[in-house]
Amino acid sequence: MFTKAYWILGAGMFATCSISAQDMPLTQILIENEGWEKVVDGMKFCDACCTDSSGNFYFTDVAGGDGVKKVTHEGQVSDFITGVPGISGMQFGPRGKLYACQGRSRRIVALSPGKLPEIIVAEVRPNDLVITADGHLYFTATATRRVYHLNLNGGGNRLQVVATDIAKPNGIALSADEGTLLVSDHMDKEVWFFRIENDGTLGCRAPYASLRLSAENFPSKGDGADVDALGRYYVSSELGVQMFDPTGRMGGVILPPDPNKPLVSIVFSGAGLEYIYVANGDAVYRRRVKSRGTGR
Amino acid sequence: MKICNLLSILSIASAVCSAADDYKLGPDSHRHDDIPAGKVTKHRFIESKIYPGSERDYWIYVPAQYDGSKPACLMVFQDGQWYQNTGGHTRVPIVFDNLIHSREIPVTIGLFINPGLIPAAKEGTKPRRNRSFEYDTLNNKYARFLLEDMLPLLTRDFKITDDPEGRAICGISSGGICAWTVAWERPDAFRKVISYVGSFTNIRGGHNYPAIIRKTEHKPIRVFLQDGENDLDNLHGSWPLGNRQMAAALKFTGYDYKFVMGDGGHNGKHGGAIFPDMLRWLWRDYPKG
Repeated sequence: MFTKAYWILGAGMFATCSISAQDMPLTQILIENEGWEKVVDGMKFCDACCTDSSGNFYFTDVAGGDGVKKVTHEGQVSDFITGVPGISGMQFGPRGKLYACQGRSRRIVALSPGKLPEIIVAEVRPNDLVITADGHLYFTATATRRVYHLNLNGGGNRLQVVATDIAKPNGIALSADEGTLLVSDHMDKEVWFFRIENDGTLGCRAPYASLRLSAENFPSKGDGADVDALGRYYVSSELGVQMFDPTGRMGGVILPPDPNKPLVSIVFSGAGLEYIYVANGDAVYRRRVKSRGTGR
Repeated sequence: MKICNLLSILSIASAVCSAADDYKLGPDSHRHDDIPAGKVTKHRFIESKIYPGSERDYWIYVPAQYDGSKPACLMVFQDGQWYQNTGGHTRVPIVFDNLIHSREIPVTIGLFINPGLIPAAKEGTKPRRNRSFEYDTLNNKYARFLLEDMLPLLTRDFKITDDPEGRAICGISSGGICAWTVAWERPDAFRKVISYVGSFTNIRGGHNYPAIIRKTEHKPIRVFLQDGENDLDNLHGSWPLGNRQMAAALKFTGYDYKFVMGDGGHNGKHGGAIFPDMLRWLWRDYPKG
């Protein structure tokens, strides 16, 4: 009976009081007294945060390393791939291969432990990438100010430019349902949202989320991005990890572990996908949160 | 224990919705058989140039007194579905019927527009909801949407005045700040504003308006702001403080404004109850034809 009364009251309150979308403050994300913990340090420049669906974490030392490092739930660090330097963005794709951007080598490669890199695209300058569950790969080419699409399922003219006119397209992420693609602009405050069309092209472009800047007209340094299971977006930037609700409203800035070093990449990983991992200069940090990732 | 729970729920409910907030619609918001009723028609707009890919419903209210012999005034409503609903918080078509008939407001065509939705392309994905993007952003985009996308749909069939003093805009919450933004950006096109529980808070920078207004040369805008003591206080800001800041800035800069602070929450009850009086104030010196 009391449960029923509660329900009726709640429904009544909603009908008369709630005309706005659900508010999503940082208190829904952050856990009291749970701060950043260092996972790895002593690198030159960490980047390319990535997870597998079990929550093992992967990253690179893009400036000093020569491959991909793996971190288990318990924090054990090992070399996952060697001999493939300069990776600035990566994600697991079809058949468990790890797709990676090698900008200085001007190519995207597919990696599997113990095997030679398979060249997927050459003569491009990729920075970061995402892959949909049905095998569509999108990547940013920051220097040439383009976003590309590649259908990994093959067929026809595979590589195409799908977005231009972004000052410095950098981070790239998919909404939880993979219907929306977002691209951060390292230079500008806007995070560009696109609808993924059925043929893989991008439509309905809009500056749907706006990053806070350190000062007016300063670059946002918008970089790697990820999404949680409830559809909130997380974009690394000069000021920290900026969180947006599913309607593009900024929910808050999660302060970076080391504000004096660049924060360039973020992914949900770890046990239960309940940790935010970030690449922050010469180190990787993680933090347990109330939200969880998508395992992508 | 269970009784304690129920009591605490009741106290939360009263804190959120306020103890009072018992505003009632008056006779101007009820239908009278001897007063001619205008017509409301429903339409769908899917070809926006300003918000590419967006789709939305909109409604047009044409008063019985409109005969096409001279231009009508215009009033635009954000979240149009709520405002055109004759069982809703404001019942605009009924109020318009009554106040146009009594010549307290001019012959006015109502345009009620819903926020846009970008439909999903891929099966199993969600549409993109454009309400906050369209309403909370501080730029001229929504004004351009009205002038370039929507108004041509009206002027195709109806004579609408070009006089910005004859064009009003109204909204609730984010739709309220949107009404202000449209007039602020394009006072050459809209000069009369009504805001219910307006979101002059930091959803997308709206908390900056009071500061911007104080340091900008006066613009020819008349604005009625309504808010309630028990309005929202959340991550975006405090609605009562934001509206008080707006009122203080409008006073400082010498605007023709009116500010009413009730005891309600984040809803349209108070705004709906005083809507007829807000209209009288807004149109007080405009020729009634």
